[in-house]
Order: sequence, then C-alpha cells, then structure tokens
Amino acid sequence: MPPPHLPSLVLDRQRHLKWRAFDRVEQVLMVMCGLALAGFSCTVFFDVVTRSIGRPVLWVQEVTTTFFVYGIFIGTAAAARRNDHLNLSAIADSLDGPLRVLVETFTRLVVVAVGLCMVYFGYINFLEGFHAYRMPSLTPLASLYAPIPISGAFVALFAIEQLVNGWRNGFAGPETGADDSMLAESDISL
Amino acid sequence: MTAANGVIVALMAVMFLAFGYLGVPVAFALMGGVIIGTLFTPVSLPSIMTQLFNGIDAEALMAIPFFLLVGELMTSANVVVRIAELSQAMVGHIRGGLAQVVTVFSMFFSGMSGSSSADVAVLSRTMARPMAQEGYDAAFVAALIAAAATIANLVPPSIMAVVYGAVGNVSIAGLFLGGIAPGLMVGFGLMIYCYFFGPPGHRRPRATLVQFGDATKAAALPLVIPVILLGGILTGWFTPTEAGVIAIVYILTVVIPLLNRGHLRHLPRDFAHAGLIYSLPLITIGAASAFGWMLAYLRGPIVVSGWISAVAGDNPYKIMFSLVVLFTIVGDFIEPVPCIVIFMPIVAALTDTGGINSVHMGVVLIVTLAFGLITPPYGLALLMASKFVGVRFSQALLASLSIYIVFFVTIAVCIFFPDFVLWLPKHVFPESVGCFKNPSGLGYICPS
Repeated sequence: MPPPHLPSLVLDRQRHLKWRAFDRVEQVLMVMCGLALAGFSCTVFFDVVTRSIGRPVLWVQEVTTTFFVYGIFIGTAAAARRNDHLNLSAIADSLDGPLRVLVETFTRLVVVAVGLCMVYFGYINFLEGFHAYRMPSLTPLASLYAPIPISGAFVALFAIEQLVNGWRNGFAGPETGADDSMLAESDISL
Repeated sequence: MTAANGVIVALMAVMFLAFGYLGVPVAFALMGGVIIGTLFTPVSLPSIMTQLFNGIDAEALMAIPFFLLVGELMTSANVVVRIAELSQAMVGHIRGGLAQVVTVFSMFFSGMSGSSSADVAVLSRTMARPMAQEGYDAAFVAALIAAAATIANLVPPSIMAVVYGAVGNVSIAGLFLGGIAPGLMVGFGLMIYCYFFGPPGHRRPRATLVQFGDATKAAALPLVIPVILLGGILTGWFTPTEAGVIAIVYILTVVIPLLNRGHLRHLPRDFAHAGLIYSLPLITIGAASAFGWMLAYLRGPIVVSGWISAVAGDNPYKIMFSLVVLFTIVGDFIEPVPCIVIFMPIVAALTDTGGINSVHMGVVLIVTLAFGLITPPYGLALLMASKFVGVRFSQALLASLSIYIVFFVTIAVCIFFPDFVLWLPKHVFPESVGCFKNPSGLGYICPS
C-alpha cells in the first residue's frame, strides 16, 4: 500500500537519502517542535499575566524551562533528518565519484558517533540527574536531561538512514535545490 | 597551560575545523572535537553532557525562540510586503532606486527579526526578483542584501546581543541600545554607498504625501512590534523573553487577524517551523559552551588573554583592536554564536584588564562578527544571499569587497569613539552601562 500523502511538514528535499517509513517520524517530531514552542509561549505569557496581577505561580517557570529544553532537543533530531543544521561548508557537494562517497560517509559516521555518545553518556548523565532536584517542585533534574539521549538516538538513526540510502542511491540527488525554488515559489512581491 | 594541555586544545580545534569543513554540522563538529579532547583528560564524558545542557539553560536565551517566531510569522503571513512598500515610498525616488529600498527595508525588518539569516531570506524573496527585472547585476544584489541583513545583528532584538549578554553576563538592554547607532551607521553607510557607487537603478517618482501616508498607515501595525520589544525591555516592564512573547501575542491577536486573516489556519505550520529553527542556534550554543568549558578547563583562555595582554598591555584601544583582529580571523571560519560562547572567557578577562565598558566591548565585537557574515570563506549571509539570488559566491564576494569600507569605518568609529556606542544607553537606561544613581538624587554617576 502506498504511504499516505503527508502535508508539507515533511521535507521532500534529498528524498533519495530518506526512507518513506521514517516520514511519519519526521512529521511527529515537527508537530512536537510546534507543540513545544506553543507550550513554551503559553507558559511565558501565563507567567507574565500572573506576575502582573500580583499572583505569581512559581512552578510555571519550571514548565517553561521544560518546554524550552525539550523543544531544542526535539528540533535537533528533526533537523538531523531534514539536513537543516548549520554547516560550515558543503564541500562534499562539489565532489564527485568515490571521493564524494568517502567524504559523505565520513561525515555521517562522525554524526553517528556523536549521536551514540549523546545516547550513552547522556543516559549516564540522566541517571545521575536523579540525585539533584529542581526547585521549588523537587522534580529530579533527570527530567531535563532525558531528551539528550533520546535526541542522540534519533540523530544517529537519521544519519544511518542517510548513509545506507546514500550508498544505495548515491549521495548526489536529482533535485535542483530547494533554496533556488524558494524564490520561484515565493508569493511575496512588491 | 602545560604542553600537554596545549596539544589537547590544538587537537580539539583541528578536529572541530576538519569535521566542520568536511560537512559535519557545526553543533556535531563541536561535540566531536570536545569528546575527542575529553578522552585525553580526567574529565568524564557524562559531565560534558551536563555542560551541553548548562549552555542552553539560561533565562536570557529563552528570548531567542520568540524573536525567531516574530520573523517567521511576519514573513509567512506576508505582512513584510507592507514594510517594503513603505520603504519604497520613503526612498524609492533616490538614486539607486530599489538598492536604497533594500537598505531601508532591512533597517525596519531588523527591528523585528533579530537574525541575519531571516533578513537574507526575506530580502531575497521580496526584493531579488524586482531588482533583477530592473536590470540590477545579480552579484551586486546578493552583496547588498547580505550586507544590509547584517544590521539585524546590531539593532534590537539582535540574537547575537542576547547570546553575548547571556553568556558574558552583560546587560542585554545595554547591548540593544548600544547597537542602534552602529546599526544606523551601517544602514546609512550602505545608502550613501549605493547613491555614489551603486548602479543608478530605476528611480521612481517621489511619493506624494498621500501615497506616503497610505504606505505608513498600511505598515503601522507591524511597525509597533519594535516598539513593544524595545519599549517593554527599557521600561523595565518585561525581560527580553517576556517582551518577545508579548510581541507574539500582539501579532497573533492584532496583526494577522487584521491584515491577513486567512493566514490563521497556517499558524500550526509556522509554530512547527519556528520550533525547528530555534533549536538550531541553541544546540550550537550548547555544544559551543561544552567546547568553551573544556578550553577553560585546559586554561586556554588564560594563555590567549596573556598573549594579547603582552602585546596590548592594558591599553583599551590596543586590546579592542587585538580582539577585533582575533574575531575577524575566527569569525571568518566559524559561526558568530559559537565564537561568542567559546571566546567569552578571553573577552571577559581582557575587558577587565583594559578597564573597558563591557557594553562597549560587546557592541564592537558584535559589529565585527556581523562583518564576518559577509567575508570569506564562511560569510554565512553572503553564502545564503548568493544562493537565493542565484549567483556564484565568488561573484557576490567580488561585488561586496567595496562595501567592506562601510564596516571598516563603523568598527573604527565604535572603537575610537566609545560615546558613539554608549551615549544612547547612558541617556536612556544608565544602569545598563554601569552608571548608578547619584546619592544626592540628581542624575547618575557613570564610570569614565
């Protein structure tokens, strides 16, 4: 059965490096990014209102921090699949043949290694977080450390996805580049 | 620092640059460098994860998502066109035509977005096509858009200023106010450059008073946003984060319903995109902060600040000039945000040595890093603009070389005339630059 058509939250760029099965994961991560930001916005606004009327609610700031931190690590995972992270250069794009495969493989392996470090050492850090507490709720700090290994797992998973598909289909894609199409699709004009 | 420490610092730097330039995303390249460095020290790797977390666990950094969301909503809802039309009514008749419009538009939009990347995207989408239709050279268009977009890092709500303030414990309100004069100087400098040295362009007839009034009226609601952001912070009503959320509430309840009601159904998508976008600089800040922490552990900042002190002594101008050179070189290779986070211990030490006002130092370095966005090899704004406009980076770079003079002059003025930066904060928010109330009750006493 063909996969259902997903709305524009899933990026179609570099389709040859992606498995359609993971599109749903990207979509869920994007929705969670939006929810984290919406929740973060609501709690900050609620904090402003309650403080302005002289009835500040202290635990709101903890919720705010939770949305903020989770949003960062969820976004990090989503951006790994969409190749949206900030790059110093895209040297591999100018290469061809085996050299390109070598460079692309190496960069993905570095990302996999970093992702796995986030999983393993982030998990140890998470366990240690049960010995420290957030004030005033006394919630273990581990609740804020939890997204680090989870994000690391997604980062490693998406890097492996790109690696395997790159080896199968080649890393150079047929697309013309989303950045160029951005102008063409733009509905902003003077 | 022992020789072994020096080798580890060098190894971390080399690994980061090698990973980064091979194509590993900056955040992971930084983490890769710091993880490899940590293996040669007694520091445990789980504690590096704690530093990754500590780097982002700062109240001031929470303003960043809101500033990015403001830019996303304004662009996505197509409200920015009204500001472009107002800019055209203001300066479209001056020699340079749309080139002047680009600069003024950027000065307005910078007051809302806080990010050069957002500015480049909006300016390219809005102005590149009409400029191409009027025969402007594509390389010049890309160079001008990139240069104009750097203003977003200078004027409030500059995200670079937020990061600098949060990491360096410097008043963000002071950095916002101190950045206004250099931001305007870059803006007016670009307008003067376009007038005398740019293509003449297609000059429109001067807008009549009625046309100007209509354009102002159409853009009035969006133009309240900078007032909310800066006004809320300066009056002390809001922190930068709270001012950001108030601006969001204003956009969601007033601007979009009144100007583009149909866009309301797209808001979930805007939030999802902005939620993704804000994670990118922040995970980089977290990784850079772990990298910077390890450098500090290895006593790198003490050594580097010692080198600079040996050359510059305690002369504030020499110290600032040395740091500008350092940041120009480093900023040519890495992102401004990690650059600020990694080098902050050095900057803080030298600011104390030279007795320099921390807001003055911050603004000078922010202008320098903003300039780095249009210099090779890693001029992010120029790279983006050349990509959006559809011209080779080398051509855009050639076209931007003569524009550099605007930045050289601005940086020099900021260094040698501290009051150019500090006058506004001293008069509007004196506490932000270290002034304190005169015990007699009359005015403020400010450090010389």
